[in-house]
Amino acid sequence: MMRLLAGGAAVLLLATLAACGSARRGEPLVGPMPMAEPRLANGQIAFMANCHQCHPKGEAGLGPAINNKPLPGFLMKLQVREGFGAMPAFSPAEISESELDDIVVYLQALRHGG
Amino acid sequence: MRGFGVLSCAALALLLCGCYGVLPSQGGGQTDFRQPRLVRPADVAVPAGYRVEAVAAGLTYPTSVAFDEAGRAHVAEAGYSYGEDWTTPRLLRVEPDGRLTPIAAGGRNGPWTGVAFHRGAFYVAEGGELEGGRILRILPGGGMQPIVEGLPSRGDHHTNGPAIGPDGWLYFGQGTATNSGIVGRDNADMGWLERFPDVSDTPCRDVTLTGANFTLADPIGGRDTVTTGAFLPFGIPATPGQVVRGRVPCSGAVMRMRPEGGRPELVAWGFRNPFGLAFAPDGRLYVTDNSYDERGSRPVFGTGDLLWAVTPGAWHGWPDYHGQDPLDQRRFAPVGGPVPPRLLAQPPDLPPRPAALFGVHASANGLDFSRNTAFGHVGEAFVAEFGDMAAQTGKLLAPVGFKVVRVDPATGVIEDFAVNRGAENGPASLVGGGGLERPIAVRFDPAGTALYIVDFGVMTMGPHGPEPRPGTGVLWRILRAGASP
Repeated sequence: MMRLLAGGAAVLLLATLAACGSARRGEPLVGPMPMAEPRLANGQIAFMANCHQCHPKGEAGLGPAINNKPLPGFLMKLQVREGFGAMPAFSPAEISESELDDIVVYLQALRHGG
Repeated sequence: MRGFGVLSCAALALLLCGCYGVLPSQGGGQTDFRQPRLVRPADVAVPAGYRVEAVAAGLTYPTSVAFDEAGRAHVAEAGYSYGEDWTTPRLLRVEPDGRLTPIAAGGRNGPWTGVAFHRGAFYVAEGGELEGGRILRILPGGGMQPIVEGLPSRGDHHTNGPAIGPDGWLYFGQGTATNSGIVGRDNADMGWLERFPDVSDTPCRDVTLTGANFTLADPIGGRDTVTTGAFLPFGIPATPGQVVRGRVPCSGAVMRMRPEGGRPELVAWGFRNPFGLAFAPDGRLYVTDNSYDERGSRPVFGTGDLLWAVTPGAWHGWPDYHGQDPLDQRRFAPVGGPVPPRLLAQPPDLPPRPAALFGVHASANGLDFSRNTAFGHVGEAFVAEFGDMAAQTGKLLAPVGFKVVRVDPATGVIEDFAVNRGAENGPASLVGGGGLERPIAVRFDPAGTALYIVDFGVMTMGPHGPEPRPGTGVLWRILRAGASP
């Protein structure tokens, strides 16, 4: 029974890690991200001011990697507004609704850029 | 199966956010290392159109590079590393074939944290861990004299810079003695508290204290407990409303003086460790400022290093703010720990808004601005990220730093410029290969067509703190792919 549980946990972990993939998105590795879309550029600026410290370019650091996790946009916004664990909550006074929307656009672009 | 993996990946994301407190630290120095260091430029990734070369190797704790009037590179070796390793501080000329020619050597007062060249002489920031900080003038023949000494450098952070301004003045940084204003156990761990039990931070202007005090078991003197207040020596408590007089030179400041000598003047204060100083093409002074660690009597969580466009005369927030955010908020409390209380009864100013925020514990250090369209990114700051010192400075889920980044000071956008190849970020000693270890400084050559990177070398983080490795420093160079050096 224990072997079955351990094997199941290992399969779960491997499937999880395979689905997550590398979080690295820097220009030297994947090339520049096209920034023609204003929401992308705005989202990048808002991300740098509020999120980059703990999630450098969406990679892990103080916080976990977030640009290789398929979280839907509404869940990302919920986590930003509510916080979770060591992550603080960010009020609309700190990150406006439109900035938050643009951050989600930026994060989704980062995820697909890997 | 793929859908299952995707769902579990999403679940993992949420789980990790909630489990920071129980996950182990995985910083970039938390690894083993065996000599020799492999040096292989192909293992360093740079954007398309650029290439990387190794110029010199075998350096011991190099911290800075400057060019003389003939365009020859000169490297400063620190003569001291965290981990309390003292070697000889040196200024070395780098010959075209990579050989190193000693120009000058210092005594036991490192680290030499930076070098600049101006009108026929080198100017070195002598960090001053044992004898106090100095700025040294070194002539190409090796003659050396201090132009200022006795700077408050006997603590955690040192005299840094220098940089020559467009006004011809010499600007330098002075780091603080403590992490966040309170002398404590972490300073005993750094090594200096037992040497200098009377050292504390010196404010640049008069400050009025809240009277917040911190009590701990005595790590050095054999007393049961010791209570210490802000800007006061170990074991001296503060009282509410107590005024600590400011004076210059002071801790956590950018100062300037004439290169010929004279008294330093205050430019701005309220920094923590203004390590890198550089003037942008528009003449404005920028500094990189290493932010709070999660250590000591008043640990602070989650503050990224800062890039400041220095506001002359202004207080930039230390020890009570991070950027424009006061520290007495839950978000800056260590997980399961107390909110950092205010130390100053009134903030001297509302701090300016920083130009950019780096990753927490990235250790953003030496910087320089691109000035030549032949290289590209004119007006952007290139910054060396020395990399984290987890877990001593705080826990991380993954390595931060160990790269060179470029920063648009107008928007705060930070982009990687030179990183090690591989699925994970980190120094070569962790991720494998022969790429970067700990970039500590960058400087463009006089033509502005080559970016030199000073790589401090291997420094792992062991159970007792930093473990620096002499002889593992490298001088790299990045050029456009078709350019000749």
